[in-house]
Amino acid sequence: MNCEEFAMAGLDLGGGKADGPLQQAAREHLLLCSHCASLHENWQALRGDLRELGAETSQAETPSRVEMRLRQEFRTKHKTMRSYRVAAFAGWGLAAAAVLLGTFSWVNWKIEKNRLVARSGSFPAANISKTARTNAAANRVAWAGPELGETLMASNDSGDFTLLPGTMPGTLDDAMVVRVQMQRSVLGTLGLTVNQERATDWIQVDLLVGDDGQPQAVRLPESTN
Amino acid sequence: MQIDSQERDDVLLRRSAKGDEDAFAVLYRRHQASIYRFALRMTGNPWAAEEIVQDVFMTVVRDPKKYDAKRGTLGAFLYGVARNRVMKHRERMPRETSLEDKNGEVGEETLARITDHRTPAHWAEFDERREHVRAAVLELPVEFREAIVLCELEELSYEEAAKALDCPIGTIRSRLHRGRALLLAKLEILRDVPKRAGAGR
Repeated sequence: MNCEEFAMAGLDLGGGKADGPLQQAAREHLLLCSHCASLHENWQALRGDLRELGAETSQAETPSRVEMRLRQEFRTKHKTMRSYRVAAFAGWGLAAAAVLLGTFSWVNWKIEKNRLVARSGSFPAANISKTARTNAAANRVAWAGPELGETLMASNDSGDFTLLPGTMPGTLDDAMVVRVQMQRSVLGTLGLTVNQERATDWIQVDLLVGDDGQPQAVRLPESTN
Repeated sequence: MQIDSQERDDVLLRRSAKGDEDAFAVLYRRHQASIYRFALRMTGNPWAAEEIVQDVFMTVVRDPKKYDAKRGTLGAFLYGVARNRVMKHRERMPRETSLEDKNGEVGEETLARITDHRTPAHWAEFDERREHVRAAVLELPVEFREAIVLCELEELSYEEAAKALDCPIGTIRSRLHRGRALLLAKLEILRDVPKRAGAGR
C-alpha cells in the first residue's frame, strides 16, 4: 500500500469499516510511513471529536408539535378528499338520474305519438258506405278555398279532403264518407283539374257527401295514382 | 385498526395514502428521528431541522405517489427529500445561526460537568474544540458534509450511506476521503493548540 491508497482506505482503521486485507496492508504501511502515521493519529483525534459531536445529538428527535401538525394536515387532506369523493359521487348520481328521466320521458312521448298516429291512420280505412259522422272527419278537411280562383287539385299526398268549389266548411258537420270507383275524368265534372293523359284511369275516391246528397269534398286514398 | 410494528414501509405508505392515520403515525415515528438528526447536523439549526422534517413528511401526506418502491427504500427517499430541503434552506439562509445552544435548557451534560472533578479550563477547551469541529463540519461543501454526517456522525455503513444518498459506494468513499482531508486541513491549527496546551500540564 502506498500513501495515496492509505489516504483513501487506511483512515478507516479503527472505524470497523475497512476490509480485512486492506486493514492489514494499512497497518503495515503505518509502521513504515511516519507521514501517514501522523495523518492517522490526527484523523483518529478528529474522529473522536466527531463522535462526540454526533453523541450530542444522537438522541435528538423532532418535537412532538411537528407530529401534531402533520396529523392535522393528514386529517384535513383526507377529509377534503372524502368530501370531494362524496360530491363527485352525488354529482354523477344526479346526472345519471337526469339522463334516465330524460330517456324515460322521451320513450313515453314516442310511444304516445305512435299510438296517436296509429289511431288517426285507422280512420280513413273505413269501408264503402260506412258513415263516419264525427266532427273529426270534418276537421280533417283541408280548407283550400276557391275564393282566390286558384286551380283545385284532388290531393292524394296527405290523405286529406279537398273542398269542392262552392262548398262552405260549416255544412260538413253531418257529412259522411263514401268510397266510390270512378274514372279520373269524372273529377273534372266536380270542378277539379284532371290530368288528361290519365283521364280514363279508374280510381278509388272518397267523397264527403253532405245532408243534401251532394259531394262536398273529395279525397284520393294513398294507393290511387 | 391494528398495525404491526414490523409492517413494511411501502405497505404502511399505501395504507396512509388511503387515509389510515395510524399507518402514517407509525411511518413518521419510524423515520423522523434519523431525518431530524440528518437535517440538524446538516444545517446546525434545530428550527430549520424541524421545518425540514415537517416538509419531508408533508410530501408523504400530500403526494405519497412520489415514492417509487422500485427505486429504493422509503428511508432513502426521505433522505433524498430532506437533502433537497437542506439545499433550499442553505440558499434561503446561508448565514443563519442558531440561538438554541445559547438559550438551551440545563441538560444532563451540564449537570455532569458540575459534579466532574476536571477544571473549568478543561471544559472551556473542550467546548471550544467542539465548536470548531461543528463549524468546520458546517463549512464543508454539502456533498462532503452529508458523507461525513452519515458515516461519521450517524455512523452508517458505506452501503447504508450510499442507499440513503442514492449513489454508488465508490462515490461515498471518495466524498468521505475528500471531506476528511478538508476537515483535517480546517482543524490543523486547532489540533496544534490543544496539544501544546496539554504538553504544559
